[in-house]
Amino acid sequence: MIRFSGASVTYGGGVHALKDLDLEIADGEFVVIVGLSGAGKSTLIRAVNGLVPLTSGSLDVNGHEVTALSRRGVRDLRADIGMIFQGFNLVNRTSVINNVLMGRLHRVPTWRTLIGLYPKDDVEIAMRALERVEIVEKAYVRAANLSGGQRQRVGIARALAQEPKIILADEPVASLDPPTSHVVMRYLQQINRELGITTIVNLHFLDLATAYADRIIGLRSGELVFDGSGAEADATVFENIYGRSLTADDTMAKEAAGL
Amino acid sequence: MSDASLSSAVVRQGRPRRPPPSAFGIGVGVVVIVLTILTTWNWKYGTGFSPAEVLRKLRNRNPVVSAIAHTEFSQVFSPRSRNAFVETLRLAVLGSVSGIVVALPLALWSTRFGAPNRLVLIVVRAVCNVIRAFPDILWAVLFVAAVGIGALPGLLALFLFSIAVVTKLTADTLDGIDMGPIEAAHASGARHSQMLRTAVVPQILPAYASYSLYAFELNLRASVVLGLVGAGGIGQRIEFFRNQPAWEKVWGLVVMFVIVVFIVDRLSTLLRRRLV
Amino acid sequence: MTAPVVLQDRPQRPARTLLIGSLVVIAALVVWSVLGLNIKWSRLLDAPADLYRIFKLMFRDTSANDFNKALRALWDSIAIAWLGTIIASCFAVPFGFLAAENLVPRWFSFGMRQIFNLLRSVPELIIVLALIPVLGFTKSAGVLAIAIGSIGTLSKLCSEVIEGIDRGPIEAADSCGANGLQRLRWAVTPQSAPEIASFVLYRFEINIRVSAVLGVLGVGGIGGMLRDGIRFKEWGQAGAALVVIVVGTILVDLLSGAVRRRILSGPRGSGQSPDIAPAHMAKLLAGPAGGSAL
Repeated sequence: MIRFSGASVTYGGGVHALKDLDLEIADGEFVVIVGLSGAGKSTLIRAVNGLVPLTSGSLDVNGHEVTALSRRGVRDLRADIGMIFQGFNLVNRTSVINNVLMGRLHRVPTWRTLIGLYPKDDVEIAMRALERVEIVEKAYVRAANLSGGQRQRVGIARALAQEPKIILADEPVASLDPPTSHVVMRYLQQINRELGITTIVNLHFLDLATAYADRIIGLRSGELVFDGSGAEADATVFENIYGRSLTADDTMAKEAAGL
Repeated sequence: MSDASLSSAVVRQGRPRRPPPSAFGIGVGVVVIVLTILTTWNWKYGTGFSPAEVLRKLRNRNPVVSAIAHTEFSQVFSPRSRNAFVETLRLAVLGSVSGIVVALPLALWSTRFGAPNRLVLIVVRAVCNVIRAFPDILWAVLFVAAVGIGALPGLLALFLFSIAVVTKLTADTLDGIDMGPIEAAHASGARHSQMLRTAVVPQILPAYASYSLYAFELNLRASVVLGLVGAGGIGQRIEFFRNQPAWEKVWGLVVMFVIVVFIVDRLSTLLRRRLV
Repeated sequence: MTAPVVLQDRPQRPARTLLIGSLVVIAALVVWSVLGLNIKWSRLLDAPADLYRIFKLMFRDTSANDFNKALRALWDSIAIAWLGTIIASCFAVPFGFLAAENLVPRWFSFGMRQIFNLLRSVPELIIVLALIPVLGFTKSAGVLAIAIGSIGTLSKLCSEVIEGIDRGPIEAADSCGANGLQRLRWAVTPQSAPEIASFVLYRFEINIRVSAVLGVLGVGGIGGMLRDGIRFKEWGQAGAALVVIVVGTILVDLLSGAVRRRILSGPRGSGQSPDIAPAHMAKLLAGPAGGSAL
């Protein structure tokens, strides 16, 4: 379970990215966070695994108080949290399987990782992760030779290889075209339902949010302005979250149609 | 056709003043000329270089130049020269490989994201700066003074020189890598060394290999010259014949050496192009 | 991972023969070198202690007098390097034009290029060895050696710069009816001058190191002071020479880097020079890779 209590994050230049946030996410939930750029979505997600430290308040993740963790403790926490990035963050020069094995880094003895000798069991886990996103036939292909959608699937496999309890996805489909975006969201949804992994996704396309989310969180200027199910989130709700009327850019289908 | 002179019916504008010539440009020009004069002139702080005199001396009969016509390649068959040449190769190989291997961690630790903490960063950067400030021959001279003549000082000098070359080039490449995979490694809970190994090293491996070949090339040239200061290799044979003096033999050795360097140079350039 | 998943055929792991092969070859070469080199490896362990001993000797006896001498010797090395570089540039610029593919026929430029490559293969130390019997142990020998040693590289760099220029201004000059020399002066030179100046400065930096090295063979300068200090066991002198070399090299690198940046980017606030592509600019602004005296 993830619980933010009075959590605030202020960046160096005086930017208040999160203001006094109170939020609780139960195990196994599929949560989508929406809001404008700069509303705090990225900050919230990165606070969960400690990539962005809280300026004040507390954050409890699976019984650990994140603000009080040592460096080693943070690493242990992150091992249980898989992250998926907008830019995929793959090592393009190396193979898909090597990228996925990055997810096993925490569990494999350091000396083995330094020379690249991963134990059979860990390679098996990596392979199964690739099978789950249906891309195992590309295991030995260089990441640079894959399409955007394929790369994000590798990103998902990497997160899965960690055998995580939580998956964080920061704008996972922003660089992808509509059909591929749906494929990726469907994988995330499947993983959440079949494996029970708590999933938090940042999205800026509202139709995707309503299509896949069990629960939608709206952020505006670092504050929580909406917390409800996908059904409750209609156009007025979104306009409130965005603080303006909606445009074609806000829905993937309309934007794709070039309206 | 109307009178199309340039001065008719044009809106009068204030003409800008011509800007003064760039102070920087003039400064540089002056410095260049002054320095050249200062350094040519024959005084305490100059070199006394006179093209006329140099040409005159070159035109005189002198043993060095006339020996070129009689260049002897007999040394190809001399076992001592051959051994010296093999020693040159061995020095180049060992000096390069040892330096190259050490250069990778040093280059990683000299970057902000690669150094485990600030102290390491500062120390490594300082060490690299000092190593880089020395040409390899000077290391050789130093080591000869410290450990005596032979192949060992040459080896140590080449080791340090390889570090100087490869760390700088690799560090420059590291400045331009993609930070994304580093973030991913951190997010998955990897330790610092694991992060470097999986997210950083694969990105620079081809460039690193290319720089390593380049260092070997440079070391091959350097190891010849090391012998001149007593640090082993074919240079010692060249020095031996120079002191006799047997210029024909010297030229023979030099030509053979230049040919080998030229070949290695071309091969290395070919290989390096395929790497990057 | 126990939920039902579509089973697919897993691919085979590709063989990494090239990588393993190269590593084996390198390992073999290393073993061959280690076994064959005539070195008492036990001395290797003593080396750091020996080095420390020498350093202590050097810095115990240094005096202000020594530093004065060292600074003067450094100036000598710099003077030699400067003159040598200037002389080489005087030849290299016209040679560069002669070897540029956009100005002369292909076969000619190819021939010139090979001559440059050949010149580059001869280390300056060898050149100076040949010049010493002729010119004596004088600074002129050092100057000439550096000049000859730099012509190859500088000419090659100049020709590359000239080849890389924009055709536009040349066409413009032609369309105004400019003759060959005018075209050179107004269309080719303004574009290539900053880059060539930058390269000359870069070569000068390297040549200072070369000059210090040549000094070891006796043509004067800071290298000579270091060698004499060691040879005659005047450790104070040697120490001063060492410090001056290190500090001087670092300072020259910094200064030269700043000047080169200024030459290439123009006065502060004027933005990027439009004639030089950003990637090329980055390459130009990088300094010498290491203390390569050769």
